[in-house]
Amino acid sequence: MPEVELVNIAKRFGKVTASADINLKVADGEYVTILGPSGCGKTTLIRMIAGLIEPSEGKVFIAGKDMTGVPIEERDIGYVFQNIALFPHLTALGNVSFGPIVKDMPEEEVKAVPQRYLEMVKLLDRMGMFPDELSGGEQQKVSLARALASGAKLLLLDEPLSALDARVRMDLRYELRRITKDLGLTVIHVTHDQEEAMTVSDRIVLMRNGRIVESNTPEALYLSPQNLFTANFIGETNLLEGVVKEVLPDRSLVELRDGTVVEAKPSKFRRGDAVVLSIRPERVHPANEGLGSVIIKITYMGTYIRITVESDSEDTMLFDVSTSEDRVYSVGDRVNLIWSKRSGILYPRPPEGVEEAIKLE
Amino acid sequence: MPSITLRGIKKSYGKVVAADGLELEVENGEYLCLLGPTGAGKTTALRIIAGLTKPDSGQVLLDVRDVTHLEPEERNAVLLSQRYSLFPTMTVAENILFGPSIRKVPELDSRKTLVELLDLVRLTKRADSYPRELSGGMQQRNALARALATNPDVLLLDEPLRALDARLRIDLRHELRSLAKALGLTVIHVTHDQEEAMVMADRIAVIRNGRIVQIGTPREVFDDPVSPFVANFVGQSNFFVGNILCSRDGRMTTVEDDKGHVVFARSSEIPVDSKVVVAIKVGNTRVVKKSDAFLTGAVERALFEGRVVHLDVNAGDLGRYSVKLPASRRDQVAVGDEVGLNWEIPKASVFPYPEGGLEEELRVD
Repeated sequence: MPEVELVNIAKRFGKVTASADINLKVADGEYVTILGPSGCGKTTLIRMIAGLIEPSEGKVFIAGKDMTGVPIEERDIGYVFQNIALFPHLTALGNVSFGPIVKDMPEEEVKAVPQRYLEMVKLLDRMGMFPDELSGGEQQKVSLARALASGAKLLLLDEPLSALDARVRMDLRYELRRITKDLGLTVIHVTHDQEEAMTVSDRIVLMRNGRIVESNTPEALYLSPQNLFTANFIGETNLLEGVVKEVLPDRSLVELRDGTVVEAKPSKFRRGDAVVLSIRPERVHPANEGLGSVIIKITYMGTYIRITVESDSEDTMLFDVSTSEDRVYSVGDRVNLIWSKRSGILYPRPPEGVEEAIKLE
Repeated sequence: MPSITLRGIKKSYGKVVAADGLELEVENGEYLCLLGPTGAGKTTALRIIAGLTKPDSGQVLLDVRDVTHLEPEERNAVLLSQRYSLFPTMTVAENILFGPSIRKVPELDSRKTLVELLDLVRLTKRADSYPRELSGGMQQRNALARALATNPDVLLLDEPLRALDARLRIDLRHELRSLAKALGLTVIHVTHDQEEAMVMADRIAVIRNGRIVQIGTPREVFDDPVSPFVANFVGQSNFFVGNILCSRDGRMTTVEDDKGHVVFARSSEIPVDSKVVVAIKVGNTRVVKKSDAFLTGAVERALFEGRVVHLDVNAGDLGRYSVKLPASRRDQVAVGDEVGLNWEIPKASVFPYPEGGLEEELRVD
């Protein structure tokens, strides 16, 4: 039952606070990603869960036991960490077989289990090679196979796919989710890649500046993010600055810079409040009336076309149209844009300014 | 007039063939993405153009000038490496001024260039910072400014965004392309990320095993792939293997497998009865009523990915098909549902069955 609980965790390196106020519960069998930009403290956090770093404050519980101070070897976890290398004197197969052998698994499993995971990462044909004969991406795949084969019920993965090509990464993340779910493992996976997090997780913990910003299912974080940083980080979004004109039971009305009034979800704001309206590109549609705009860029994305416009309200906006649509769009064309009031979400205008509030580094 | 021309470039390292007769022409002012998996020979191609690697045979032309045997500093091409290679003990400004050709110009001119470059990459306020004090994005811009200090006509970018966070990368794609366009540079940008290439490139050259397998606009490469490999590498594809039943009056191709499943694809020149592969982009595969379906299957899982929901549909002996369902339709499909699949017929391509088998053809590493 490897549920994980972090209670009031904080970590300071000298004067630098790497994490603060971290409270997090991961259920048995749950797949949680810790997501955030470089320097947000996500690696420090997973290293504290592993026992590679001791927290300055707070406690780490694994399966109900206080593990604070217990070294990594005694925590029974499978892991992929950035600078914990493979055993250099063992082949890929030897590395992946290490866990099953140490755990005294039955002989047929010691044979079958490593092969199963080497096959998953498509390295069966290289299993006789030593780490220094493999590329960085291949070494990372061996580490991942080793973690899966270890027999541990808790996996800690720090950027387990970062050294791989985009295309390979895409295939492997579906496999990773499939296998960990089939085996019923509890997984904590650190990544800076919001797409990866969306695809593999039951729940995403979004971090920034050493703190948890928001934690929820991928769907909830994408569809109803609680703050502006989340809205922009989890998938792209349009952010329009305006002032609340009226709040009705079924919608909010917001006046933009040019006086255009647009709609959003009902909210607790009052008339005159400065707000930011977030609306996803795929929810914005061209229409006969709506927010006036001029097309400044058209990008063919393969299965859809992304159009960038400068609106009359002086906001840069993105919207998507189908490749099957008959209408032909050209740079310089005027279009009017609308969206459903249910898709627009309002946030208070941040005192530090929108740019600062969504800054990625 | 092309700005960069490669003619029959070959380069081997022992048994490993990194360039196997590379042919490429890049127009003046063009932004070309060289897209391919690890080990395809992308970096070797860039280094040969920059003059950092000597080809075994073949020619490199910059404009009309044969530069094959010239030193790197005698070419007007500069390469920005993946790791940026900034000097840790030098400030932002010192790193920029360290560029080889800027050191030869008079002090006053180099100062002026420095001011312009700092402004261009938005690092004026950080001129006296050291690389370790900069964020990843700033380091990338610092390295870019240093590359531009040599005043090149040709900019060679080796995975310029790889070291950056995924979300930041999306924002910087546009910025990097705009900068290159504003300066009128001819760019070859090496990447393994097909989405990055789609968004940034005027044209994409797909490279594999040291050869260019296809070159065209993002739209051409995505919509009209020349092989199952390209179909799957540039946007993921679903595949159906069968024999051509009929190829009616150039409008569409009917393909049947040995179990009697029948699907439709765009017209092709391949003769009737040939064994073929039909490729259909995951993003162009649709969930439809069973009466409209080419194939049916059970939804194995549904993963919410933001603008779309990724569905894996188990189509029995046909294997697994993936679908990107618009998120707005997510309530219409649940795990366990039997669904129909089809596609717009012109969006499915047909290829002769690859000699080495389909799996080998699709290998990306």
